[in-house]
Order: sequence, then C-alpha cells, then structure tokens
Amino acid sequence: MAYDYQAVHALDGTIGAISERRANHLAVHRATAIAVVLAAPGQTAEAAGILVANGEFEARFSGPGEWLILSEVHAPETLCAELSVRLGDFAFVIDQSHGRVALTLAGPDAARILANGIAIDLHADVFPVGRAANVLCNHLSVNLARTAADSFDLVVMRSFAEALVDDLKTMARSHELSVDFATR
Amino acid sequence: MASLIPCPHCGTRPRQEFSVRGDATPVRPAPMAADEVWNDYMHVRANPRGRIREHWQHIAGCRRWLVVERDNFTHEVFSVSDASLEQGGAR
Amino acid sequence: MTAFRLAAGGLVDRSQTVPFSFDGARLSGHAGDTLASALLANDRLLVGRSFKYHRPRGIVTAGPAEPNALVTVGSGARRDPNTKATVAELYDGLTATSQNRWPSLSWDIGAVNNLMSRFLSAGFYYKTFMWPAAFWEKVYEPLIRHAAGLGRTDLPRDPDGYEKSWAHCDLLVVGSGPAGLAAALVAARSGLRVILAEQDFALGGALLSETTRLDGEPPVVFARRVIEELQANPNVTLLARTTVFGWYDDNVFGAVERVQKHSAVVDAARPVERLWRIVAKHAVLATGAEERPLVFGGNDRPGVMTASAVSAYANRFGVAVGKSVAVFTNGSSGYRTARDLTSQGIEIAAVIDTRTNAADTAPDGVRLIRGGSVVDTKGRQRLRAIVTDRGGFEELLACDAVAMSGGWSPVIHLACQRGGKPVWSEALQAFMAPEVGAGLVIAGAAAGHYRLSECVEDGARKASAVVEALGHSVAGFDRPAVGEEVDPSFTALWHVPGAKSKAFVDFQNDVHTKDLGLAVREGFGHVEHAKRYTTGGMATDQGKLGNINAIGILAAMRGVSPADVGTTTFRPFYTPVSFGALAGTSVDEHAMPTRRSPLHGWAARNGAVFIDAGLWYRSSWFPKEGEKTWRDSVDREVRTVRENAGLCDVSTLGKIEVFGPDAAEFLNRLYCNPVLKLPIGKARYGLMLREDGMVYDDGTVSRLGEAHFLVTTTTAMAGGVLSHMEFATQVLWPDLRVRFLSVSDQWAQMSIAGPKARTILQAVVEDDLSDAAVPFLAAREVRLKGNLKARLFRISFSGELAYELAVPAGHGEAAADALMRAGQPHGLCAYGVEALNVLRIEKGHVTHAELDGRVTPDDAGLGRMMGSAKHDFIGKRLSTRFGLTAADRAQLVGLKALEADKDFRAGAHLLKDGAKPSTLNDQGWVSSACFSPTLGGHIALAFLKSGRERYGEKIVVWDQLRGVETMAEVCNPVFVDPENRKLMA
Repeated sequence: MAYDYQAVHALDGTIGAISERRANHLAVHRATAIAVVLAAPGQTAEAAGILVANGEFEARFSGPGEWLILSEVHAPETLCAELSVRLGDFAFVIDQSHGRVALTLAGPDAARILANGIAIDLHADVFPVGRAANVLCNHLSVNLARTAADSFDLVVMRSFAEALVDDLKTMARSHELSVDFATR
Repeated sequence: MASLIPCPHCGTRPRQEFSVRGDATPVRPAPMAADEVWNDYMHVRANPRGRIREHWQHIAGCRRWLVVERDNFTHEVFSVSDASLEQGGAR
Repeated sequence: MTAFRLAAGGLVDRSQTVPFSFDGARLSGHAGDTLASALLANDRLLVGRSFKYHRPRGIVTAGPAEPNALVTVGSGARRDPNTKATVAELYDGLTATSQNRWPSLSWDIGAVNNLMSRFLSAGFYYKTFMWPAAFWEKVYEPLIRHAAGLGRTDLPRDPDGYEKSWAHCDLLVVGSGPAGLAAALVAARSGLRVILAEQDFALGGALLSETTRLDGEPPVVFARRVIEELQANPNVTLLARTTVFGWYDDNVFGAVERVQKHSAVVDAARPVERLWRIVAKHAVLATGAEERPLVFGGNDRPGVMTASAVSAYANRFGVAVGKSVAVFTNGSSGYRTARDLTSQGIEIAAVIDTRTNAADTAPDGVRLIRGGSVVDTKGRQRLRAIVTDRGGFEELLACDAVAMSGGWSPVIHLACQRGGKPVWSEALQAFMAPEVGAGLVIAGAAAGHYRLSECVEDGARKASAVVEALGHSVAGFDRPAVGEEVDPSFTALWHVPGAKSKAFVDFQNDVHTKDLGLAVREGFGHVEHAKRYTTGGMATDQGKLGNINAIGILAAMRGVSPADVGTTTFRPFYTPVSFGALAGTSVDEHAMPTRRSPLHGWAARNGAVFIDAGLWYRSSWFPKEGEKTWRDSVDREVRTVRENAGLCDVSTLGKIEVFGPDAAEFLNRLYCNPVLKLPIGKARYGLMLREDGMVYDDGTVSRLGEAHFLVTTTTAMAGGVLSHMEFATQVLWPDLRVRFLSVSDQWAQMSIAGPKARTILQAVVEDDLSDAAVPFLAAREVRLKGNLKARLFRISFSGELAYELAVPAGHGEAAADALMRAGQPHGLCAYGVEALNVLRIEKGHVTHAELDGRVTPDDAGLGRMMGSAKHDFIGKRLSTRFGLTAADRAQLVGLKALEADKDFRAGAHLLKDGAKPSTLNDQGWVSSACFSPTLGGHIALAFLKSGRERYGEKIVVWDQLRGVETMAEVCNPVFVDPENRKLMA
C-alpha cells in the first residue's frame, strides 16, 4: 500500500475558477509557512529584537510577547527549526502552518471593504505599512497587517477560513472583488 | 452602537472585542484562609455606582486580561492596564 | 404642468418627469421632488388619517419631523410602512399608499371615533379596560390590537441586503446647512479628516429653500460652490441621504445611509441601506431649528402647515401649497413666508399676527391683522376657510391653506441622548442643548443663532476651535456677504385662546389641549406622566413638533415656567431605523460563523450526515444503504466498534500546548487531580473545577517534555478554558513562568477504537504499537508510513482499546483515508458523534450533559481524583464546604429500562415508586439516555440522591414533557467492561 499524505487546503473546493482578476483581489496563500512565537517569560524584548528585519520571514504582532511568523521561502519544518535556533531560550516556537490560513486583500478599495467588518481606523497615518494587530472582523478574530498602501494580509484560524472568505465577499459586495489561490 | 476601550497593547477598540468578567478588586485568598474570607471572595460584591475597577479580556485582540477603571454611570473610562502588571507580576 | 406647480423657480428639474402612484392613482412629479412636494403639486393634500380619531390629515412640514404624512412605500416584501412623504425622495415607479384608513382615505369607517371623541378622552383606555377582568382577554385585547399600530409590515422575508460600516474622522458635521457647510469647509481646508452627513438627498439644508442672497447670488449657488470644494478634498466624505440617529459613548455616532431607497429597481449586489458607526474625535451638530406649529382650533385640517414648509415648497420645489394662503404667526418668520409667496405670485388671504405691536410689515397689498388669532377652521378634507378673532370680533376668511409660525426650537436631540438635560433659555423661549463636553459642539440655528450670517459665522467658529484643539492651524475662509435677512424673533404662544374646536398639540396621536388639562387635573401633570397619560409625544414622530407646545401648555396650567416642567427623555434613534440596517450582514449563514473540521471532506466522502454543534458542523452518523433510520446507522456503528473497530473525527476538541519551567506547577493548580508527577510520554484524565468547587471541564493532560504539555478540552468549552487559563496566569498567578497557545486548528485528530484498532493502526504507523511499547495512556510522537510525523495518544472514550491520532490538519483527510483502507479487511467503519455518545454512555463516561455546573467530582463518581494532598488548586478550598460533601447529594448512577418498549429522555426526573411528583419527592434527574445495542435495551446516566448506595433499586423515571412514566433499575454507571479488560488489551 502506498502512503501519500497530500495536503488539503482549508479552502480547497470552495473557490471557483476566475476568468480575470478584478480591481480588488483576495489571494489565498496555499503554501505560506506559519509559526507562532511565544516569548519566554521575561524575554519579550530579547525575542522581539531577534524577530525584526529579516528577509526570510515576517513577524506580525498579535499580543505582548506573541507573534505570528509568516514565511514564503521556508517550509513549515525549516521555519520552526530556523526560528528555534535563532531564538534559543528566549521563546517557544509552535508550528501553525496547518492551523492558520493566510490571505491577502489588495486593491484600491481594500481599506473600504475591510471597514465593513473591522472597527479600527485603517487610514495610512494611523495603521501604516508594517503594522499588524489582532482585530475582530464581524464575528471572527483575525490578524490584520498592512503590507502596502492598498494591501492587507489577514491570518485566520483554519476552521474559520471559509466563513471569513464568505464574509469578505459580502463585505465587498459594493466593490469589484475576485478570489483565487495565490500563484507563486 | 459602540463604546470604545483603549487596550494598552492594541489601541482603541470597540467593546465588542472584549468580554467582561466583573469586579477586579477581590484578591484570591490564601488556600487555607477562613470561610468568611473565601465567602467574600466568591460571593460578596459591593456593586457601587460610579468609579469601579473591572476585569475585561481583549478576547478578539491580544487576549490579555485588563483592568478597566471606569464609571458605570457615565461610562467614562479612566484607565486601562494589563492585569498582570496590576498584580505586580513578573512580566 | 400640474395644478399647484409654479411656472418657474425651485430646484426641481422640470425637464424630467417622474411618474409615481398614490393609492393607485397615477401621478407625476419632477426629479428633485420629495413625495410630499409631488403630492402637493398634484393637489393631493390629504395623505393620511390620524391614529385615534381617524381625522383627515395633510402634510404639515417639509422635513423629518413630519407627524402626518406617513405613507407605505412599495409593496410585498419591500413594503416600508410609516415612510415620511416629506423626506421620501421621488423616483420613477414609486408606489405609495395611505395608512390607517378603511376602506379608503376619503371615506373611512374608523372616523366614527371622531364622533365619539368626547368618550375617548386621555386615559380612556386605562379607565375603561380595567374591568371586568374577564373581558380583558376576550374583548378588550382583540379590540385594542385591532385598533393599534400605524401601517403594517408584510411577512415575506426582506429580499434586500444591508451592511454595516465603520468610519473614523477628526470632525463629523451633522447637517449641511449654512453652519454645517461652513464648519466642514474650515475643517477640511485646515487638513482635518471630515465626514459631513445630511439626512436629505440634497446637500445644502436651509440654503436650498432660503431666498436671502449670499455674495449677491441665490444661496444655493454658494452651497454648491462649497460642496464642490469639499467633494474635491480627499480628506472629506460627504454622506447625503444619511441620518445621524444616535450619539453613543466615546463619541461614536450611529448613522443610517439610504443607499438604494430612491430607486424602484434595486441592485441586488449592493445594500439598500448602510449603517455607519462613526468614530469621531469631534463633532459639530448643525441640525438647524424646527418651526413650531401654533395650537389653535381646527389646526389639524389639511392645508394647515408650518410657514417654513410653505416657503420650502414654494422656493425649493416650485409648488404652491394653496391658491390663497393665510399666514398665522407670532413672530417675524411668518412675514418672510408672506414675502416668499407674494414674490412667487401666490395670493395671501391675510397675515394674522398674534402680537399687537410688532414692527414687521406685510408685503404691499396684503391685509395684516395685528393682535388677531385663528380660532377655528372650516372644510372637510381640505381647508376652505378660517375663523379669525380680533378683540372678540370674529370673521370668516376664505383660504385653502394656512402657513403657521409659532417660533423656533433648536434641534438638539443628539446632544441630549447621553443623559444631558436640555436647558431652558428665557431669551430664546426654547430648550437649548446642555454643555456636553468637547466632543460635541452645537453650531448655527441648533445653537440658537437663527440669522443666516450668524449660522455661517458660528459654524466656522466652532470648526476653528476643533482645528486648534487638534493642533492644526486654522485655514482662512472668507465669509460671504449676506443680503437682507430676517430676524426670526417671536413672542411665544403655547396655545391660542378661544379655540372653537379641538386644538391639536400632537397631530399623530390626536392629543389636544383638553387632554393635557385633564392630565393636570387628574394628577398627571409631570411631563413624563402627562406623556404616558395622554400619549402626547409617543407616536412615531416622538413629539418632534408637538412636545414643546405640550410643555408650554403644562407650564401654563401648572403656573410654572417651561424650565420647571422640563422635557421628556431624549433617546436614540432620532428617526426610526430599519431592523435590516441594524442587523447588517449578520443574517443567515453570516449570523454565526461556521467552523469546519479538517476531516470534513473525509466525512462527506463517507456519507456523513452533519449536525450543527455550537459553531462546528460535525459528522453525526454515516448511513449505509438499506438503513432506514438514524438508529439503524448508529446501532450498526456502535456494534462495529465493539466487535471490530471504528474511526471517528475528534478534531473539534480544544487543544492547548503549555510551555515553561512552571508549566507543571500551573497545570497542577488548574486541575483538581495531581499533574506534577505525570511522566514524560504519558497522558492523564484531567478534571478542572471552578473556584466554587463545581466541575468546569474535563479532558486529558499529556506531558510531551519536562516543560511541555498538551491539554485537551471539550469542544464546547475550548474557548472558555483558554480564557480561564489566561485569567489564571495573568491575574491569579502572574509570577508563574508559563506560556501557552491554542493549537486546536493545527491538528486533525481521529479516534480509532475497537478490538482491532491496534492491528489497523499498526498497518499505517512505522513505530511499534505493541502494548509494551505503547501502553494505556501513552502519549508520544510517531511516524506514519510515507513519512508523516503524528502524535499518538492511547486514550479511550468508548471503553475499547483505542487511540487518538493527530496529524497536521491539511494531512488529516489523507491520513483518515489511509486508515480506512488499512481497516477495510478488518471491518473498520466510520462512526459519528451519535455513536460516540452511545459508546461513552455504555462505558459511563461523563460529558457536559452530566457536568452541567451543579456537579462536584464526587457527584460524578470522580471524587478519588481530587488531589487532596495538594497545597492549592482552583476549587480546592470551596469544595470542602458544607453542602458539597453532604451524603444525600445526587450521585451518578446508571439506569436500565425495565419496560422494553419505553425509552428514557434526558431531563426526566426520578421518583420513588408510588411517590407523587413534587419538588419534595424529587430523587434526581436523567442526564443522558440512549438505546444500547450492546445491552439490547434502553439505558441512561442519571443523578440520584445517595445513588451509589441504591444499585438494584427500582425507580420511576417521570417524563412530564412527554407524559411518560417508566420503571427503571438503578445500577453501576459503567455498563460495559467494568473491569477495563478491553481497554487494557
């Protein structure tokens, strides 16, 4: 008997093929490696110092001493190994590549669409590029990060991914939106 | 519609992101403290009008437990701080 | 050109004809009309019947305070009752129908109430329907229900969509009249983020119906120039058709935008209404002032309107409200209307001024009656004449409309919605907004600055203060040169003496002066009492027009100042808001998010029937061909697990990983049972108490490393337990060096249970799974064939030899498929939560059906788990208190049905044989019940007083809901394999 554990994405089978991208686009990332770093008690500053400015991964604030780490270059196991080596005793690293789903909403109306479910002020002066936070989007808690003037990343619990995409489509009802898996 | 709570970690957020536990003043007694002390801790609340301290958790944000000092009549929020700091904790 | 449309003038587009219908009649208006202005242009003054007396009523205002012109717009599922015709934007295909009349508007049976009105005085209902008591249900309630309500809604579901949005700004300006525009312009030029909200479909407010020139041009030209500049500024959001209805804590404003309410064809892709929650650092309330009606005999006759409305219809909409208009005024404003009408060529029957020595002059050739009053009106469905009185000399004066001006009241609702009480101004004879702090300031007419130049200046000044408060520098704004303007002074007159017929105070609820007199005489003179007693101000318009006169009249009757009477309480919403807008997108599948298990696809492929379990969508059972009922499937699944093996999705359990040097100490304080000495690679059943000693949740604790644990929770309490743990570490013991994270979504977890579980699992797992290598309660990492890392726990809920296998969520389906293939030769089946429930009941394992918050560990038969030697744990101290250790507490037992054809249901109560059902005789309750395929009968888990001493006793299971009584035998709750031989195999 052959054993092949091909991974199923949480949104497989829920997103139809699109003929073309529209003004605003929601890209679902299939292969982003995601980890959570929890600073060891009393080591928040040290862990934060190690996590800044790195080409291999991005650290997103989610709470004091807690970050989501996203990487497009690492596989889940190598990301965790890499982080563990760098952080040593300063933090605990937990693989969440299967536990979370990463999405990118980009387009001229991205902030306006998000304002239909997210309460925080998304003006670029208040929530600038590089800022991340856990926020409530309608009924769901998501990690929101601004990656460009009109581009936002959302990271959500896997089991809620389908509900979030449904919500985002509804939030974007007055705007042009296409949804598809990201191609790398 | 909304009221806003300034989370010390996440910034100003609508109250829908939080859950409220209640009075933040009772301190958990020592394990072998007297019956009356434990009874007070579990069951007795002053329920004052005006300035109160409450435990709120930023459940949809940083998930930290906060001490919110506010007026339960005017809803004015005076201060919000991390509960672990309030207790003089190690973090 | 219709009968009352003027040949020229106004802001309507005469080149665009807009067809609509009213009560089935096909009519037409112009683009830029409201429904009210179009009806007036078509000589349709009669638009509704009053609530109580069914008196004919016409349009009174040209704005949101309208009490009379309430119509139903649309039909079927899109029916909108109680729409104010005075603010409803006319559109092609609008269908409106009048309300509160039967069979027709002009001939209405209910008008008989009017003839009986002497019996229907204030308080009538309170007095009449009190007795006899027996009449209430059969006679009075149906009678009142039939009469109650204005307009009606329809049952088909609303086909339209709604949405809710957040917005943030430095300055919110409410109202786009002269003060609002000036405020917005100053703020925008100074670099603030500005939102300007206007309830009307056109921006400009009073400037749209004003004739005083600004910079030598019509005021609308000035307004358009300002609006164009604001539109071009990226920091400004202009929201027309948007009513700011509420002011909430922390300067959050609620507003509703009518996105597609002005179109017969609705674009289904967009919302029809949008609810805004506007977080404003500052707000300027520039809502203007409301003109007061005068309270005189017959003042509700169709054709009697406020003077400002008469001016607005002429100036903005190019509509004459009548052929010959009498102006009745107590101040200068009436003269302005007289001038507006004369300049449009509309005949003025007379100007009647209640003041004797005012300096105002009527337009040339217009008769002026100083010191006069109107005491009665004539006509049926439209005014024909008025009766004037001057020094006791009555005169009948023919006219078909009255423009009444009773002075002005600032519109201050929003400022009073958070507890601030309005303040009476003796100088302005009006209630003013109280000081409400820096977040909200009042500008223009809303602040009592009625002159046009003052409005502009005040708006600019208030915005400048906001600009400075936010640390910006104020940009310049050249004030426009204001032409000849009216000083709207007046002498307050709460009601006109000598009324010859009913003088109405509240038009919609038919409250007249005599009702208020009765209220005062009967001791209900307090403003809040008078409101309830007379229903004045309780209609859908909430007394926007009438309350001020009611207060003045109460003050006069009680011999005090209106300041002493005060106002009733202002509350959101300013005008009604649809339920659709309040719900937004939180309807249908968006009302609650659905959680999907990582094994959902596997379950679906295996034919699962799904059920909602909290937010989760769980596989319930897996029907096979030939199985007719759910019981057929569940019984087969249970038997298969007991005889061969089954595979069940348990991914929904909460999973929390705990790290840190104090992790063991923390868990030892969190669970009532000892955790400190749990060896690495082992799992343990864990019971968590609340501080009051009752069981909170149960699950397993696995030690993966010296300072690394994995704990599981029940599906239902996953969120609660995480918060509980966060409270414990952040509030109770912040000195503990521990961190944890919910990893529930990272893992797909499946239970493989049954005598053949090991054989099947071994086919897929590389590692040795022999009992020696993986004994009961082992918890370790394994590698699946094909090189996939997984976590394996030898734990059992069913009582069988069982394992839980966890793999990264995305690989879950493939792993489950592999196990199904490996299990096929051994008779493995998929089983759902129903079979899981039967299996655990047979084994006497508890869930939240048992652990319902009233149960101690000992009640559940788990008392020996308590780590009494531990120094402390949550719930330890209070679990020793009196009552929680009593011998007659209800204890977990099993029940076997003694009558084969009768089953049990959870919730049934237990009684001694022969005892009458009563609280005193209650012996306990059934918590879980099922048919046991293994035992071949109905069984249950139950809590019974001193139950562990009563095995073998026969007891009555009393099910009042179904009316069933069943005899049962009390037994050990572990029905299957009490020696744990299968478990340890």
